[in-house]
Amino acid sequence: MSHDHHVTLTIPADGAYLSILRTATAGVAARLDFTLDGIEDLRMAVDEACALLLPQSKAESNLHCSFDVGERSLTIAVTAESTAPKPPRRDGFAWTVLTALTSDVDAHVDGSWVTLRLTREREGFEHP
Amino acid sequence: MNLPGRSDGESVEAVAAEPPEVPPLVDHIDERIDTRARTRELFQRLDQMPEGREQEQVRNELVQLHLPLVDHLARRFRNRGEPLDDLVQVGTIGLIKSVDRFRLDRGVEFSTYATPTVLGEIKRYFRDKGWAVRVPRRLQELRLSLATATAELTQELGRAPTISELADRLKVNEEDILEGLESANAYSTLSLDAPDIGETDGQSMADSLGMDDEALEGVDYRESLKPLLAQLDPRAKHILMLRFFRGMTQSQIAAEVGISQMHVSRILSRTLAQLRSGLLDH
Repeated sequence: MSHDHHVTLTIPADGAYLSILRTATAGVAARLDFTLDGIEDLRMAVDEACALLLPQSKAESNLHCSFDVGERSLTIAVTAESTAPKPPRRDGFAWTVLTALTSDVDAHVDGSWVTLRLTREREGFEHP
Repeated sequence: MNLPGRSDGESVEAVAAEPPEVPPLVDHIDERIDTRARTRELFQRLDQMPEGREQEQVRNELVQLHLPLVDHLARRFRNRGEPLDDLVQVGTIGLIKSVDRFRLDRGVEFSTYATPTVLGEIKRYFRDKGWAVRVPRRLQELRLSLATATAELTQELGRAPTISELADRLKVNEEDILEGLESANAYSTLSLDAPDIGETDGQSMADSLGMDDEALEGVDYRESLKPLLAQLDPRAKHILMLRFFRGMTQSQIAAEVGISQMHVSRILSRTLAQLRSGLLDH
């Protein structure tokens, strides 16, 4: 891929729609030639991120998800609209899980929007 | 496939000796002997009878007589997410099949003969149910070849394969591989395949759990996490620790624990979900 690609997906802030986000995540990660380990980790990471965001999402709001497909890395940002937005605790178990599953995790709050950004570098291996 | 509890060929006598939370199959030995004698008598009559209404009645009595066996076997699969009534119903199909196939000259008690068939029907129901949600046969087969190819490629490459490598190996396109992985994740009858905790070698498990506790040292939320971790199945907890506190990859864990990478992935997802619901309650 010569330049970065961008994929966006908006789903209702409702657990029933998470499978769509998981599937999209696996699809995008596969394009980047992530290994199965990487793909399953990312799938779990978006699950965990949404588990942090859904409880504080406004009723009937949406989750805005964006995938930035770089040459060797994938960044997934999930944004929720909240009446009392708060970033997750960095000393909690969920944060440990997110950092173990990705190369970089970041959280920020902007007005009523709270965003979790997950980046995973592609494993460095030579193609046979 | 590993069965919960005992192997397929077990006898009813063994079943009756199970722990007290399961009601005994028959309350009195006398009653059991009566059932056996009556069963033999009925099969003898069935053998000599021409097809017809009377044969149907004998057949029905034989089924009725052994419904407690079906009920007993079905109870072992309680708490697996399917209503007991449904399990009894499919188990009864197994019982009817057994009545139709049994011959006295087989030289075994009918109940011994029927038990694996009844269990087989119940387990098949779980398998079909697990898949029936949305996984067609083509995908079931793909899932199996995916598991094999993943294990082979991991061995060959020394790391987990990519989707394109799997597609190459199986000579299908990448979409199919993704679809297959999706279905593997949807496959929900994991608990039926998972070995019981009791099968784990006690010593090595104790060792690894000790190391797991060390890995938790210095973690801020250790105290809030500990009671939740304590509720987990020991193997699930161990796998969780290996992934999140010792930084092993799913493939490495698969090799260490001796299960497939897909299985590790399912255990991790399920365990995280379990912990999440626990943490929310707090």
